Amino acid sequence: MSNDSYQIGHQGELIAEQYLTQKGFKIVSKNFHSQQGEIDLIAKDGDFLVFVEVKNYSFRSLGSPLGAIRKSKKESIIHAAQTYLYKNGIKNTNCRFDVISIYRKYNGQTVIDHIKDAFYAR
Amino acid sequence: MLVKLGSSALAGLEGYLVEVEVDSLKGLPGQTIVGLPDAAVRESRDRVRFAITNSGYEFPAGYFTINLAPGNVRKEGPMYDLPIALGMLASSEQASTKLFKETIFLGELALNGEIRPISGVLPICFSAKAEGVKRAIVSWENADEAALVQGLEVIPVKTLKEAVEYLNDKLSIPPYKVDLAALFSDNQEFDLDFADVKGQQHVKRALEIAAAGSHNVLLVGPPGSGKTMLAKRLPTILPPLSLNEALEVTKLYSVTGVLSGKAALITRRPFRSPHHTTSDIGIIGGGRIPRPGEVSLAHLGVLFLDEFPEFEREVLEVLRQPLEDGKVTVSRALATITYPAEFMLVAAMNPCPCGNYLDPMKACTCPPYKVQRYWGKLSGPLLDRIDLHVEVPRLKKEELADQPLGENSKAVRERVNAARKIQEKRLIGTTCHSNARLTPRLLREFCKLNPDAEQLLKAAILHLKMSGRAYDRILKVARTIADLAASDAIEAPHVAEAIQYRSFDRKEV
Repeated sequence: MSNDSYQIGHQGELIAEQYLTQKGFKIVSKNFHSQQGEIDLIAKDGDFLVFVEVKNYSFRSLGSPLGAIRKSKKESIIHAAQTYLYKNGIKNTNCRFDVISIYRKYNGQTVIDHIKDAFYAR
Repeated sequence: MLVKLGSSALAGLEGYLVEVEVDSLKGLPGQTIVGLPDAAVRESRDRVRFAITNSGYEFPAGYFTINLAPGNVRKEGPMYDLPIALGMLASSEQASTKLFKETIFLGELALNGEIRPISGVLPICFSAKAEGVKRAIVSWENADEAALVQGLEVIPVKTLKEAVEYLNDKLSIPPYKVDLAALFSDNQEFDLDFADVKGQQHVKRALEIAAAGSHNVLLVGPPGSGKTMLAKRLPTILPPLSLNEALEVTKLYSVTGVLSGKAALITRRPFRSPHHTTSDIGIIGGGRIPRPGEVSLAHLGVLFLDEFPEFEREVLEVLRQPLEDGKVTVSRALATITYPAEFMLVAAMNPCPCGNYLDPMKACTCPPYKVQRYWGKLSGPLLDRIDLHVEVPRLKKEELADQPLGENSKAVRERVNAARKIQEKRLIGTTCHSNARLTPRLLREFCKLNPDAEQLLKAAILHLKMSGRAYDRILKVARTIADLAASDAIEAPHVAEAIQYRSFDRKEV
């Protein structure tokens, strides 16, 4: 991964973190890795444990940000989520997968699109 | 919370109860449907999700497992959408489970939460009632059909929201009722009438006999002689269906999914005229899970096969078994299903490919081998099963110019009805409906011949070299002719008339 795109990704995660905290989410973990996957942000939203995937676009996005999350990406997120739950001994908690996409309009304005319950484990 | 609710599935014309169990675990979100669902059932996950959110309810969080019991039978069709959605809502305490006992839920969901009709509601509700179900919650478009089951409380719902509010006592929906008697009021107004057909008195007589005893008929005549016209008017002289018969026919149409919303109960005898390109499966029934074919859709009515020799040979030959047994059993890997098929076969054909063979006015241009091949399509065993062979000659000039004359359908129908009543009275306590379906034992019991009639028949059989089945069939036709004459005994004239309807057994064509 080039340094540039890493920077863009990291920047996006910061924006998303700020946004979620503002919305009352409690961030519990960042950049959690499992062998086969990665989760950008893990947060508590009330009783829910939310796994958040952040997409930061340096250009104006065409189409739904969900389209940028392919099946393999989904599977890696799910795998990481399962690992997280297992490692931390979390049971009996309702979980959710959210996607936050960040892009800029032509006038430079930043738009944050938060999709709750974006996909399912099965 | 574990929630159980009832639904149903179809195996042929019988429904059986399916229990929909819904439970959830807290954890990663998702749903699975188990219990051998087919593709349509598995897809219900997506429909249910949107139907729930678009109805203003919350799609419950957690990992859901939906079990369709019994788990060893394959479930097909979208009718489980409604019970699955209600189960998920009840499991997340958005709907009350108070009425879940003794209720079945049937319906497909649209993405906007509307409830769509499903096919096979009538047989499902019948079986459910027999198994002790008290209430059925169905799409309002299915309500007419479901309400035909007496003693079942039918709650018609338009949307998922209505169903939930009904369960939660927020909305009261009165049970849907249909007036069976009104539906069944003798509605025998037809657009067609026998009086439309000019001449052909002897053909009309033959059709009257056929209608009176539910006998099979073969009409042979040159083009334009009125074969099709006559056959299409046959339903107008058939006796009306009884209530039980009407329900039996309606069940078959319900399973096939061809019942229109308005005509919940089929009160007229079906008249099916499949095109001659229809396949054998289309005629007999079939599919992965067998559906009724044309022979079953013509149950208790008429199966009219125009241009008889143009049908594929296999198609004609598969007719033999249902003609004899009055039912068809179709076996496939997934299911073996028996459908009733007590139909009256009316076949129409030209005497040769050009149509003018046997015509005194026009010359036939077919070489003899072509005529032979044409008739070769009708195998001996098939011809044997057709009781009445009738020639429909071309009308003469004088007859064509004449005004249509002769009786109207109503007059003929009254005679047919009278003859059928005699048969019904005679056949009380048996499984037969008509003379054509008499079993060999009943045949011996009811078709006793006068001595001179017996002598005549014996001579005819010997002389015309007829088969044993033809003998039986002549007896049955003679019985019907005697019934039409309101005669208890079968006399020589009755037998004589019956014998002359076997003309193609003896004709060297």
